Amino acid sequence: MFNFFLILLGRSIVLVSKFFNLGNGSTWPGHIALSINKNFIRDVLRNSKVKIILIAGTNGKTTTAKLIRTILEYDKKSLPAHWRVFQNAAGANLLNGIASSLVLHSTVVCKLNYDYAIFEIDENTLPLILHEINNPDFIIILNLFRDQLDRYGEVNTIAKKWEDAIRHLLSKTTLILNADDPQVAFLGEKSKSNVLYFGINPANKTEKNQHASDSNYCPNCGERLIYNSIYFSHLGDWICKNCGFEHPKKTFTQSPFYPLSGTYNEYNTNAAVLLAKLNNVSNRAIEQSLRVFKPAFGRQEILKINDKKVQIFLSKNPASFNESLKTIANLNANNLLLVLNDRIPDGRDVSWIWDVDFEDFSSQFKNITVTGDRAFDLGLRLKYAEFKNFQTKKNLAEATNVALEKTLKNETLYILPTYSAMLEVRKILTGKSIL
Amino acid sequence: MIHNTKYKLTIGWLYPELMSTYGDRGNIIVLQKRCEWRGIGVEVLKLDLHFNLNQLAQCDLLFMGGAQDKQQKIVSEDLMKKRNALQNRIEDGIPGLYICGAYQLLGRYYKEAERTIIPGLNIFDLYTGNPGLNVSRLIGNVAIEFQGVNSYSPSRCNHSYTLVGFENHGGRTYLGKNVKPLGKILKGFGNNGEDGTEGAIYKNSFGTYFHGPILPKNPEFADLLIKVALEKKYGSPIDLSPLDNSIEMQARKTIANRLNVEL
Repeated sequence: MFNFFLILLGRSIVLVSKFFNLGNGSTWPGHIALSINKNFIRDVLRNSKVKIILIAGTNGKTTTAKLIRTILEYDKKSLPAHWRVFQNAAGANLLNGIASSLVLHSTVVCKLNYDYAIFEIDENTLPLILHEINNPDFIIILNLFRDQLDRYGEVNTIAKKWEDAIRHLLSKTTLILNADDPQVAFLGEKSKSNVLYFGINPANKTEKNQHASDSNYCPNCGERLIYNSIYFSHLGDWICKNCGFEHPKKTFTQSPFYPLSGTYNEYNTNAAVLLAKLNNVSNRAIEQSLRVFKPAFGRQEILKINDKKVQIFLSKNPASFNESLKTIANLNANNLLLVLNDRIPDGRDVSWIWDVDFEDFSSQFKNITVTGDRAFDLGLRLKYAEFKNFQTKKNLAEATNVALEKTLKNETLYILPTYSAMLEVRKILTGKSIL
Repeated sequence: MIHNTKYKLTIGWLYPELMSTYGDRGNIIVLQKRCEWRGIGVEVLKLDLHFNLNQLAQCDLLFMGGAQDKQQKIVSEDLMKKRNALQNRIEDGIPGLYICGAYQLLGRYYKEAERTIIPGLNIFDLYTGNPGLNVSRLIGNVAIEFQGVNSYSPSRCNHSYTLVGFENHGGRTYLGKNVKPLGKILKGFGNNGEDGTEGAIYKNSFGTYFHGPILPKNPEFADLLIKVALEKKYGSPIDLSPLDNSIEMQARKTIANRLNVEL
């Protein structure tokens, strides 16, 4: 029963860490617990009745987790059962982050007094976590795009790892898969678990081919897929004419309400709503909770700076950058601050900016300021996409001020940062750090 | 100096759909824009799976990027059938840039970790071995000293300069006698992390591990490819009109400063 000691130790570390302003302890306690007892996660969950929801995918994990939590917690008001939910801290999505959230939410006798645990899981960690949590109740797989190739490797490598990890799941687990992403949909083919699919409503959604498209070839036989329509990147209504592998017929596409802009958020919302329905949340409760949903930090989060509005769209890989640009163009954005960093959480290779379709937006925005550790690389990208009005500033604080000054009263400054850049720019704007 | 002229280039982009994982498209954009901004007519021919050999004959400059393993296998099968045509163009001196997987493919063979040997196109005198998943990939920012050694137009190789990029490869490449390295490693790993070489030059073809992509931050190298292609096509020495490279230089300087390399 020395896990009891690990939980106490972990809690103390968090207190000390918070006291000395060393961070909020989203990974340390778990790191220590796991290094003393490598079975810590398994031990804590062994006798627990908490339902486990894992969320994986390149883009949308944090938003989907927050959507699910909002719906499940909201519903507790209308049901006699009290639904208590906890989750790992956003971004703390490796094993140590999961272990930390268990440290923080267990009682000292290793009991979890919760109904649901929501864990967002890093792409490479999904196989490892399935080793610790053998048959989670739900696994949502959102999508698979090229992202941080220096860290994750190629899209096919990740797909293969997921395939191997998921093969062993039993029917106790419900797999919730994106039907429009062929690689993800393929995961359901050989699974013994209960498989359900989500997608988006295909009406009026045909778009031109985007350059950053990773899975246009059949995951089953390798032949080129035929798309009846493309929603973005390689997501769409696809079929393989060679082996007959095709888009799943029964796909959930209808949330009663969408709290966030952008096609990508229709996917996140539909995945969350499908999960809520499987847990018997009423349509009414789903809709009401989504209407009061507040975005997660940096994911379309709105900040008020004096009399100006700032909205942050985390843009961390070609698929998410393309979607952000499209979404803010639809919102008639005028003022733009683009921030490119190349630290470990961003990926050290910035080649991917050349896979973003900037060319489609070269005369769309009025004021553009470019900054970050790799400001000039991004400036260069805009130059070659024939953008005329942009300013490149190396210093982030200075660039943020310039961009805010150029934004007229009652207008919005749209900030598109990579991950570490998002944390930094938020800190500059709000005066405090969150992670 | 030339501007708004009779000159026209056709760039052949080999397998844009399959071999384009690491922002390789940036190289094509740079070649295209640097021609357009000088008034040089430019057309990009996309040579995708099952392309026609007549299309290859029309090209004045070739480019091929890197890919995921699965895609690379598909390409390699297709290209094996077209090997002789491609070899003839390369031997004849068509300028070309071949990145990462494409660079490896042009060599004699690729030896996988399990010791399976995959034959290459055998156009460049080099081979690549992969030490397996337990040995680290060579990843990071990289800088080399590039000596523009070539025989066609001596005027263009009168000085050496620094090229910067980002490398990310498991395979280790070893050069044979009939190719020259593209440059000498200043910082980073290069071909194999051992012998201080990076990339290869054969006739007017250049192979390299540089992503980044290579051309945006190394505009002289982009211009070298354009110049050789024009000189080869029109049979006389050509001086390209200068372009403003100030953002290019600042972007290059960011990496040079990081690596502590002087420009």
